[in-house]
Amino acid sequence: MKNIYFVILALVILVYMVQSVRKNSLSIKTSFWWIIGCLLILVLAIWPKSIDWFANMLGIDYPPALFLTLCVVFLWVVDFKYSKKIQEQQEKITDLAQELSIVRAKIKDMEKKEKNK
Amino acid sequence: MEKTKDKILVVIPAYNEAENIEKVLKEIKKDIDYADILVINDCSKDNTYEIVRKNGVKCITNVFNMRYAMAVQVGIKYAYQNGYDYVIQMDGDGQHIASEAEKLYKEAKKTNADIVIGSRYLKDMGYPCPLFRRIGTKMFEKMIKLFTKRRIADPLSGFQCLNRSVIEKYAKIGNYPEFPDANLVIEMLLTGYKIVEVPVKMRLRESGESMHSGIIKPIKYMIEQLYTCIIIVVKYAGKRRFKL
Repeated sequence: MKNIYFVILALVILVYMVQSVRKNSLSIKTSFWWIIGCLLILVLAIWPKSIDWFANMLGIDYPPALFLTLCVVFLWVVDFKYSKKIQEQQEKITDLAQELSIVRAKIKDMEKKEKNK
Repeated sequence: MEKTKDKILVVIPAYNEAENIEKVLKEIKKDIDYADILVINDCSKDNTYEIVRKNGVKCITNVFNMRYAMAVQVGIKYAYQNGYDYVIQMDGDGQHIASEAEKLYKEAKKTNADIVIGSRYLKDMGYPCPLFRRIGTKMFEKMIKLFTKRRIADPLSGFQCLNRSVIEKYAKIGNYPEFPDANLVIEMLLTGYKIVEVPVKMRLRESGESMHSGIIKPIKYMIEQLYTCIIIVVKYAGKRRFKL
């Protein structure tokens, strides 16, 4: 089997992903796209002809081009998804920090008033 | 000095303004004594906080350095939560003159405007503006004119008076822009808010460093502003104009 290295690589990444989920360092929701990616690499490593068949079906002459395009699109989608997520979280962090600043100043004032009583 | 029933808050974002802030606070206390003052200390490394407290002025110290816009938004949120009718935004570097702030408030009352901008360029007020900034301001003025058919001569001015509806809107904006300048003016005009300009005198900062100093920062700022303005126009293209 020519692609044994790719099968091993896909299995190692898959095990690593599953382990990360088990250790709670990666959430189930976040792991979804990465596990799907690993499974795709595994499928392609076991049945490399499947990409040829798929490229032929789409009328692409050079099958590796299809593979690379799919990889780029996959990474682009994942990256875009996380850019949105980061923005969302940044807004929440700023909002929390601003509220915390206001509340902290209020507490300081109250403590000062209490001392002066 | 005019007495008023309105609750007015002067919001001053300050970062390393120990050398300027005392003078600013004294001027405000003298010229607009009917307004409350709130300094947002954006984690200054000098003794800005101590000076503000020594002058008996309320000070909120941010939990981390949030930069100019987010510091302003802290003040606006405070005003919203404490039921203020008007917010006057002033810089802590002494550029904005307290006696001129009254003009903004009076204009807001007179014209029922949502935002009153203190403008350096509406009339020649003798402001010695650096050439690069003047070119930038002119460019944004033309852009606002193109997109909103309104002339705003000084869209980069941070000297503004906001009424309650704008306070509410700004307090609730999740992604408050990093530089709330021409982009925010365009957004507010496109969403039906009334913006009025008043000619005011301003000074050049006496000490400390401006957030737009250097060569790279202003270029980066111009590119970001241009991009943001275009995106805002695209965002509101064809949408029904509304007000919060």
